[in-house]
Amino acid sequence: MYNIDVNNLNFYYGEFHALKDISMSIEKNSVTAFIGPSGCGKSTFLRLFNRMNDLIPDIRMTGEVNIDGRNIYDKDILVDELRKEVGMVFQKPNPFPKTIFENVAYGLRVNGEKNKKVIEERVVDSLKGAALWDEVKDKLKKSAFELSGGQQQRLCIARALAVAPKIILMDEPASALDPISTLKIEELIFQLKKDYTIVIVTHNMQQAARVSDKTAFFYLGELVEYDFTEKIFTNPSKEATQNYITGRFG
Amino acid sequence: MATLHIDTELFKLKNSLQEMWLLVDKQLTKAQIAFMEYDKAIAREILSREKMVNALELKIDQECENFIARNNPVAIDLRLALAYIKINNNLERIGDFAEGIAEFVLRNMSEKLPQEFAEKLRIEEMFNGVSEMFTLAKESLHEENSAKAEKIFGLDNLVDEINHRSNPIITEEMKKHPEKIEEYLYLNAVIRKLERMGDRCNNIAEEIVFYLDAKILKHNKSV
Repeated sequence: MYNIDVNNLNFYYGEFHALKDISMSIEKNSVTAFIGPSGCGKSTFLRLFNRMNDLIPDIRMTGEVNIDGRNIYDKDILVDELRKEVGMVFQKPNPFPKTIFENVAYGLRVNGEKNKKVIEERVVDSLKGAALWDEVKDKLKKSAFELSGGQQQRLCIARALAVAPKIILMDEPASALDPISTLKIEELIFQLKKDYTIVIVTHNMQQAARVSDKTAFFYLGELVEYDFTEKIFTNPSKEATQNYITGRFG
Repeated sequence: MATLHIDTELFKLKNSLQEMWLLVDKQLTKAQIAFMEYDKAIAREILSREKMVNALELKIDQECENFIARNNPVAIDLRLALAYIKINNNLERIGDFAEGIAEFVLRNMSEKLPQEFAEKLRIEEMFNGVSEMFTLAKESLHEENSAKAEKIFGLDNLVDEINHRSNPIITEEMKKHPEKIEEYLYLNAVIRKLERMGDRCNNIAEEIVFYLDAKILKHNKSV
């Protein structure tokens, strides 16, 4: 059973053919890592899964992105609804200038949740789910900016979890963090896997090797190789993949 | 493209293992001469060189450990580091067997093995077989040629066969010369050592194929 099914996807920024005929299936409750040099299209591809590219001018796309069997680019799809299902965490932690509590409650309020008790419960659950609760339970009314970078990133993950998505997209979620915070995020990814499908873009090869079940290597807009992570990091099928992961590129 | 740091490190690692090959090669060749010619001086030379083999084994293990810790190798680089650790260990064991043969020459041998007996045992053929396997392994790694490494598996059969046939021949000789029973028991152990050397060359060939082709042949030799 696949959560994400991409068929013959092509994507263009103006004349630039950024993604070339990509087909790929991502299983439920798995972690998939996208790797590849800058500009290879991996982030563009990730952002297609919750239609984050929609507002970029002069783009064109063909093909399908099916989530739970529905093409999310169908005309009757509501983007707001889609993004409830597909949460996203970015490279730099981007908490709102609000309290810790309100950051997590934000998505619920925007979605019309008014029951205080429900909101409170969900905030606590999400903070626990993001392995942040113990560190912030006594300062929920403090500004989110008082948290460290690593804590802010986990707060952003909690904010994503609060609206109960099925899929979480992570675009270099640990690149701005120190090794301890990075490890916490990676541990969190392991735990979240049982409830969510996770897709992560990373430039850190060891991180991809550590956290993911499957790895996809992109180069110049093409999906070069997609396989089990163990296979990619011990015996990749394509020479280009081997050259990239061993650092012998270009 | 400029040489990468990791390639410089790999080059150093390859050089160290090359040094180990040469050293163990010398031990193997000298062991054959010491045994076939009953040359005690050469046997003593082997014993004194054994310490170098042990020291080099430790050095290479440490270099592999450092390489892994500092470079986080993946794919072919990771397979190389893993294979090198095992090849290094197998080379050291071959060195140990050469030492064992030298000790036999010094302590248990009373004279050069009679030519007729040696020919019956095919012991020189066994030494040559092991040497050939050893050389093929060395060349296949140096040339990164896994097809060459796979040839070693066939050669091991010859060594095994000679080993297998040695028991009745030695038993017969013991009956003829009961005063030499103890010496011949040790001789039997020398033949076992040669057979084990062949096995070690086999192991090395498996590691070379693993490093180059990512194929695992251990416990399953259908190439």
